[in-house]
Amino acid sequence: MSVLFNVIHFIIVLAFSLFFLLNAAMVLVYLERKVMALMQDRVGPLHNGPQGILQSPFDVAKLLLKEDIFRGVSKDPLIFQLAPVVFFAPVLTAFVVLPFSPYVTGGALATGVVYYVAMSSIDVIGVFMAGWGSNSKYALIGGLRSAAQMISYELPLVLALVGPVMLTSVLAPGCGGGHPNLGVCSVGSISFTQIVAAQMRAPAPWLWFVILQPLGLLIYYICGLAETNRSPFDLPEAESELVAGYLTEYSGMRWAMFFLGEYGNMTIVSAVATAVFLGGWSGPGAAIEFWTGALGSFWGQVIFNIFGVGWFIAKMFVLLIVFIWVRATLPRLRADQLMQYAWLILMPLTLLNILITGALLLLPVGQTAQLWISGAANWLLLLIFVFGLRRITGVSPLGRLPRWMRKRAASPSRGLASGAPPRSERALAGQRS
Amino acid sequence: MATDQTSEARLYTEGPEGLRSEEMILNMGPQHPSTHGVLRLVLTLEGETVVHCTPVIGYLHRGIEKILENRPYMGGIRYMDNSDYLSPMLNETAYAGAVEQLMGIEPPRRAQYIRLLCNELQRIASHLVAIGTYGLDLGAFTPILYTFRDREGIMDMFEALGGSRFNVNYLRVGGVLHDFPAGWLQQCEQWLDRFERMGLPELEELITGNEIFDARTQGVGYIDPRQAVAYGLTGPILRASGVSFDLRVDRPYMAYREIPVNVQTRQEGDAFARYRVRMNEMYESVRLCRVVLDKLPGGAISSRTPIALRPPRGETYFALESSKGEQGIYLISDGSEYPYRAKIRGPSFVNLQILPELLRGYKMADVVAILGSIDVVLGEVDR
Repeated sequence: MSVLFNVIHFIIVLAFSLFFLLNAAMVLVYLERKVMALMQDRVGPLHNGPQGILQSPFDVAKLLLKEDIFRGVSKDPLIFQLAPVVFFAPVLTAFVVLPFSPYVTGGALATGVVYYVAMSSIDVIGVFMAGWGSNSKYALIGGLRSAAQMISYELPLVLALVGPVMLTSVLAPGCGGGHPNLGVCSVGSISFTQIVAAQMRAPAPWLWFVILQPLGLLIYYICGLAETNRSPFDLPEAESELVAGYLTEYSGMRWAMFFLGEYGNMTIVSAVATAVFLGGWSGPGAAIEFWTGALGSFWGQVIFNIFGVGWFIAKMFVLLIVFIWVRATLPRLRADQLMQYAWLILMPLTLLNILITGALLLLPVGQTAQLWISGAANWLLLLIFVFGLRRITGVSPLGRLPRWMRKRAASPSRGLASGAPPRSERALAGQRS
Repeated sequence: MATDQTSEARLYTEGPEGLRSEEMILNMGPQHPSTHGVLRLVLTLEGETVVHCTPVIGYLHRGIEKILENRPYMGGIRYMDNSDYLSPMLNETAYAGAVEQLMGIEPPRRAQYIRLLCNELQRIASHLVAIGTYGLDLGAFTPILYTFRDREGIMDMFEALGGSRFNVNYLRVGGVLHDFPAGWLQQCEQWLDRFERMGLPELEELITGNEIFDARTQGVGYIDPRQAVAYGLTGPILRASGVSFDLRVDRPYMAYREIPVNVQTRQEGDAFARYRVRMNEMYESVRLCRVVLDKLPGGAISSRTPIALRPPRGETYFALESSKGEQGIYLISDGSEYPYRAKIRGPSFVNLQILPELLRGYKMADVVAILGSIDVVLGEVDR
């Protein structure tokens, strides 16, 4: 009997994960077009189905029917053909660890966070293969940029997740509950299920980690934007410079797989942010004791899980809409500014966050006081970050020349009147001789 | 052998760790999303740094100057629309002004004011496209949709005036084609109100003060004032380098002799200053439109001119301040119905010259940021 239940469980979860990923991408594309249209004073897709909801399925059908062009495009067809698969497969596998609810999770993997991070960094290889295999300069530059960007932003992304993991070690005692998946935590954990559970066993009714680690969520989200090549970090596919980056030579279903992988990545980033920072499936109505008490063990669990999955998906889509919102608002960073931002701002900040959180959680006071103090410190750090960032990135206030530019404006070297060559030519001449 | 070695040395440069790096030649355009039409740039890159840039033009050549020589004077106006296709009214005014100067006629005051109104509206429309596409170049997708929405109002007004949105064909030698249709002035006033209340503040909120926009534009594409003058740059680019030169003030023509214009200049000389000058000029244009609506004189809209114009022998050059700079028309008349020679002095063509000099040493991502800030229209570069 228990074997049968396990098999049914496995089938349900597998079907749900696959179904969800493939459909989330399609829903997301439609949502993106509609939400962006709303923000941009347009109407978006209208003609296929009511309010254009059939636009995405039709697009997919079109892409499936398209010719698969690779001969003549690539000198290295195998790499060219494999790249979309390499890009898409990790996205699909990373979905396994996401805890939609205590029951609907592909396996409460004890190393969930590490597994997710590992899977999301494999994507780079697919991008790089696409860039190399395409035999196109735009694609090559796009692939290189993407590799550099994804590797750089991987580090602060991981470090931003460390804060919540540290918090689980404080909140661990006492976490147990009505479900077997919830009952085993006694020390800090990197399993997503346990991280979510830790956010529900706290002094406050729903002590989501966004309350204690707002800076972590912000940095994680920024890195998520970069990780998924979304605006304002969408350099690899900067349309105005690189046509379509590493996607330039792809068409049909291979292109669609990149597309699907990208939107799947967005979904995963949002889902992980939901699980780690926004309390996962917790929310009004997702109370297992109440439902099992009212409806008995089986139906109580069913209702509880429906509520849980609903909350999880709702939170996730809120974050996804923020993705879209950011895309509609911000211009794109330049490659060097992007690197600078990751290495000089985000990395030190996340390390500082880990240091401060760790130090404050060792204070010899009660658990509640520890949480209060570390939360306050994090909010303070967040405010400093947000307001300090203006000073760092804004080159100068309006109407005032920055000092280095004033110097350059005053020096005649760029002027036509003087005979001196421009700086770059001088530098190159020095290199060549 | 020696030549081989030198060519080898030119192609490969030794990096600090003894790595050999090869310069890469990248062909940008003519079918590239952000070369603003069909400009082709042959970029020589070292890593992502531009070493050399060669603009290749001529993909949109339609021989407009030759067409003008094969049309009666009045017939040439319609072809001027296609030259700088983002500011047809200004082109038409330049052409009509040149023919009038050649014939020695002065359009009636009302016609001059109507022209000024159309010119300023067209300037706003052109700057809206410039700023919108500039946002697109920098990766911001929303500004262009806002600016095109606002521009649509101007297009509607032009449609009511000339019957066509884009190729308005509204001006005539000696005046304009029609007087305003009923309700047009109210429509114009409403549009100006809405633009000032909604359109411009929205753009300011979306673009100005955005840290990423600042970081992408400030200090990028710096043009020295002397360099700008030496290259013959005109328009917002020149004024963004701190040179106060505006033909509306320095060589006033038509109604600008009666309506003073505040010249908008910035001292920085970078891409941000160019954006700012365009924004400020839109505020100024809105003010000028309001002045015209207040002071619009009555009277005829066109002086009596024969259908077949036969200017006396001679030559003339007439220039006005277009949205992109000095839009000049040079005409030689041999006394017949057709110009003997027509030459367009286009601002985009002249402004584009500085691009190779400007791009050298910048990153590849800055190429579009700089090209967009120059605001070239290929229709007028290639003619």
